[in-house]
Amino acid sequence: MYPETIEKLLLKVQKPGRYVGGEHGEAIKDKRQVDVRFAFCFPDIYEIGMSHLGIKILYSLFNEKPYIWCERVFAPWIDMEEQMRAHDIPLWALESGDPLSDFDFIGFTLQYELSYSNILNMLELGGIPLLSKDRHDLKHIVVAGGPCACNPEPITDFIDIFFLGDGEEVDLEVIELFRACKKEGKSREEFLRLASRIKGVYVPSLYDVTYNDDGTINAVTPRDGAPAVIEKRVMMNMDKSYYPDNFVVPNIEIVHDRAVEEIFRGCIRGCRFCQAGFLYRPVREKSVECISRQTHALCRNTGYDEVSLSSLSSSDYTQVVPMLKELNSWAKPENVSLSLPSLRVDGFSDDILNEIKTVRKSGLTFAPEAGSQRLRDAINKNVFEDELMNTCRVAFEGGYTTVKLYFMIGLPTETMDDVADIANLGKKVLDTFYSTPNRPKGKAPRVTLSASSFVPKPFTPFQWEPQDTMDTLREKQQHIKKSIVDNKISLSKMTYNYHDSDTSYLEAVFARGDRRLNAVMLEAHKKGIRFDGWSDCFSLKNWLEAFEACGIDPAFYANRRRSFDEILPWDHLDYGVTKDFLHRECERAYRSEASPNCREKCLGCGCTKYKGGVCYEKR
Amino acid sequence: MKNVRVFYRKDGACKYISHLDTNRVMLRAIGKSRLNIWRTEGFNQHAYITFALPLSLGFASECESMDFRILDDDEDLSAIPERMNACLPEGIRVFRCAEAVHKPADIESAKYAVQIEPMNENEISFSELSEKWRDFLSLPEIIVQKKTKKGMKDVDVKPYVLAFEMKEGEKAAFDLTLPAGSTLNINPNLLIDAFAQSVGIELYADITRVGIYIKGGEDFA
Ligand code: SF4
Ligand code: SF4
Repeated sequence: MYPETIEKLLLKVQKPGRYVGGEHGEAIKDKRQVDVRFAFCFPDIYEIGMSHLGIKILYSLFNEKPYIWCERVFAPWIDMEEQMRAHDIPLWALESGDPLSDFDFIGFTLQYELSYSNILNMLELGGIPLLSKDRHDLKHIVVAGGPCACNPEPITDFIDIFFLGDGEEVDLEVIELFRACKKEGKSREEFLRLASRIKGVYVPSLYDVTYNDDGTINAVTPRDGAPAVIEKRVMMNMDKSYYPDNFVVPNIEIVHDRAVEEIFRGCIRGCRFCQAGFLYRPVREKSVECISRQTHALCRNTGYDEVSLSSLSSSDYTQVVPMLKELNSWAKPENVSLSLPSLRVDGFSDDILNEIKTVRKSGLTFAPEAGSQRLRDAINKNVFEDELMNTCRVAFEGGYTTVKLYFMIGLPTETMDDVADIANLGKKVLDTFYSTPNRPKGKAPRVTLSASSFVPKPFTPFQWEPQDTMDTLREKQQHIKKSIVDNKISLSKMTYNYHDSDTSYLEAVFARGDRRLNAVMLEAHKKGIRFDGWSDCFSLKNWLEAFEACGIDPAFYANRRRSFDEILPWDHLDYGVTKDFLHRECERAYRSEASPNCREKCLGCGCTKYKGGVCYEKR
Repeated sequence: MKNVRVFYRKDGACKYISHLDTNRVMLRAIGKSRLNIWRTEGFNQHAYITFALPLSLGFASECESMDFRILDDDEDLSAIPERMNACLPEGIRVFRCAEAVHKPADIESAKYAVQIEPMNENEISFSELSEKWRDFLSLPEIIVQKKTKKGMKDVDVKPYVLAFEMKEGEKAAFDLTLPAGSTLNINPNLLIDAFAQSVGIELYADITRVGIYIKGGEDFA
């Protein structure tokens, strides 16, 4: 439902379907019959938020409880925001049409640093005081979870509670506590203090941070009995873990408009740049039986005829072929097609291809991440050139003509030669096409090289590394271009895209920032900054002015090499992987040494303490 | 195999589903309802559905229709509305299902129930607005800019106003019948926008398609 006041405005904005709700599968309840109202906020537009799996899981989980009504809120696009501000219409939730200020919990998912500015904007549009300290009484509890909660320090002034790790249990425990506190008439402060005792809950206002003269952190000290170290939560039994059997099915097209089944959590690989690979350890799989049952129910209930089998690295699922066969036993007759995203180069077998043939031949995508074997070893991306070429050959024989390769530039230990090898690798793929006898005849191949800038992230072996300066990154981008020209590659066969290094810089600042950045966030918000993830809105210049106004040097966070014994802003958060392990992995990177994956050999990262998953598989 | 036509209402939040997205919503509802309908063949197979007359974004309707082919000749058509409604968003309600009588190409006109009001309240009273609208429609000719294949063109739409009737009540409300179909389709907004321009007031129009007719004014069925 939407507020009556916006009816007249809807046809003045693009895609009004974003703002009206009313989809099949939305949860409608009587607000007088529930104890807790939870506004699940995604700090980006509808089409992106609705594509996100986490929100689907938690939305259904919460709404299964009769005493909770969880609703969805997305960031209004700038055209709608303008109308809302002009007509004094507060941000509303899609199910009831009620303003954010009517809710007990306002929950954000933190998927990317560049969405932080939208969080502040949404709070303001919803009529919620921005600063935690300005919110009183037992209402308007602003909570946040998701990958960026692993270093939430830059937004601790705005958020009351962070959830670390998997949310399925801890979120409910906190909601449950809130309900009890409300019944007993407890204060907001008391509720927060009690919440901080729950494992996986980080209440930042209960910690004091002091700094050294050089700007690094001196100490993080808990108060009021809050734990010194906050441990993430993990769902160890994925078969028993909650999974929705229905989704809210959008009425307008969204980015990923299909059913999604999560087949496992975590990743065995440990690519050294990849935060997800460390945050979600250890790998926990669902059984084939469970996947098939859940997927079937989802397709039946939503009407989707396409399922994406989602995970960080799908071909690493131990039962991938049996799973596809089992799924196809009902999917084929029911005209449901399967897709397996995040396939690794070496996981692209004939067996798999046969089972997912129903997927359109849109082209292949691989992520070698680095151009040279030396650098791939250093970042622990175990992709080998001959494997890549073999896979491309199989694909070309199967009728594919386009290959997209993703790379990163600015990786630790990278040289200009490594950078030039990006173009060389692309050229080799083209050569492979022409040397494949059964290639599609009469068609030209097309290789797209896509390079993004490396952003060092917390809880990775590169958490101490400086990011390349924007000048260096630009130089490297130009070097790839030059290498393509030097290789005399026809530009009709090779496309080169690169992501703007400006956004990567801001991402690097906030990813490893500390509490002093809260002031910058607030300043940026005052300047009207939002939608940083959208190139039509992002302006580094505006951000630099905000840093300047607060007397903070962003390079301190992005471009400084941190010493291994420095106290990092996220050191009091525990995601299972130890600092010692990450340090060892970093040293191996310096020696350009790859590491075995979790299935080959346990490297003792620290996650055995969760007592399950891949750590206890037979090797 | 039977050619089947379902009739449905579209309103509320579903007014804001574009024609393309309506197609998607319907396909999923059919998938979920497990109705056994004819599918296209070839590589990218999908259930085959067609729409008689697209509805503009933002319009409600009481008379939309969609065609498909039921594979099983014994299928109980009277059960289809309920089966589909269980799979559709609230704002789309199927109320009838029958074998198609007319061809979509037979469609000649459509009737719209329109309510206009100033975008900014109190800018003009409803009675004055009604008055002005009546005057506007009695002009000897109504020239509007219409998009054609050859760019913008001035057209007199006056002859296209097939029927017009003001409605009693406090609001500025009226019914308007205009040509519709694949050869000539006149959007009521064409007139309303021209009117708004002539009176110099930003207007909001609530528009519901209430009837679709074939030659001779018979209901499209
Ligand atoms: S394969 Fe590497 S990059 Fe991909 S999710 Fe796993 S660790 Fe991350
Ligand atoms: S403890 Fe060993 S097996 Fe388990 S996640 Fe860490 S490295 Fe992998």
